[in-house]
Amino acid sequence: MEVTNGFGPIDIAISGMRAQDKNLSIISSNVANAQSTDNGKGEPYRRLEAVFKAAGDGLGGVRLDEVVEDKGDLPKILRPGHPDADEQGYVTMPNVDLPVEMINLTLAARAYQANVAVLKRYQRMVETTLELLR
Amino acid sequence: MAKTTNIVEFLEAGIRAESLRQMAITNNIANLQTPGYRRLDAKFELALAKALDSSGAADLEQVKPELYRPRQTPVKSNGNDVNLEAEIGEMVKNALRYKTYVRLLNKKYQQMEAAINVR
Repeated sequence: MEVTNGFGPIDIAISGMRAQDKNLSIISSNVANAQSTDNGKGEPYRRLEAVFKAAGDGLGGVRLDEVVEDKGDLPKILRPGHPDADEQGYVTMPNVDLPVEMINLTLAARAYQANVAVLKRYQRMVETTLELLR
Repeated sequence: MAKTTNIVEFLEAGIRAESLRQMAITNNIANLQTPGYRRLDAKFELALAKALDSSGAADLEQVKPELYRPRQTPVKSNGNDVNLEAEIGEMVKNALRYKTYVRLLNKKYQQMEAAINVR
């Protein structure tokens, strides 16, 4: 969202909340697909990563620029009975690391909270100014 | 009604516009999950700016706030384009504008009262 008026901090904080909201869905997709050996195209799920970009030049807030696949190595585990196992009995698993996702989850939730804190504080600042009109 | 420069009438029109916008936002949030719903917004400021003449007077009877669908926000897979965070941001901005108008109106009435009570 572009910032166009005098309530800039509100729009910027909201852009941060929206970006972190999408980031949270990406993290939940990674967690949910931590065991998905097939992404519908015969390959295991690859963890997704959010790429944030500053919107506009300077005070335009943030936006989620793109969602990219993690090209990191896919681990293999021995599970001969699995339908996706190769001739040696190894199954290629998604490159999702649950502890890492949990850290990202905390970071995303904290970033969301930080944006809400900015929004609340700005709201209180404007209300302080309005007290001058009492 | 003829053209006016009366601050009380302008503030009243502003308060009415923000009330209508608050209703639009409430309706948007209520329809957060409704498939195919497009968000509503109130149109007022631009019409007012156009109606103002060079002396700053406007015929407020001709400038009524009205609801419209901006159709500019990204649409989700179910055809709905409401984003909760964006609506909350609009609500906060709306509440602050409303509060400003009410405080200004209040100040204006205090001024009148001061003038009446002069002895």
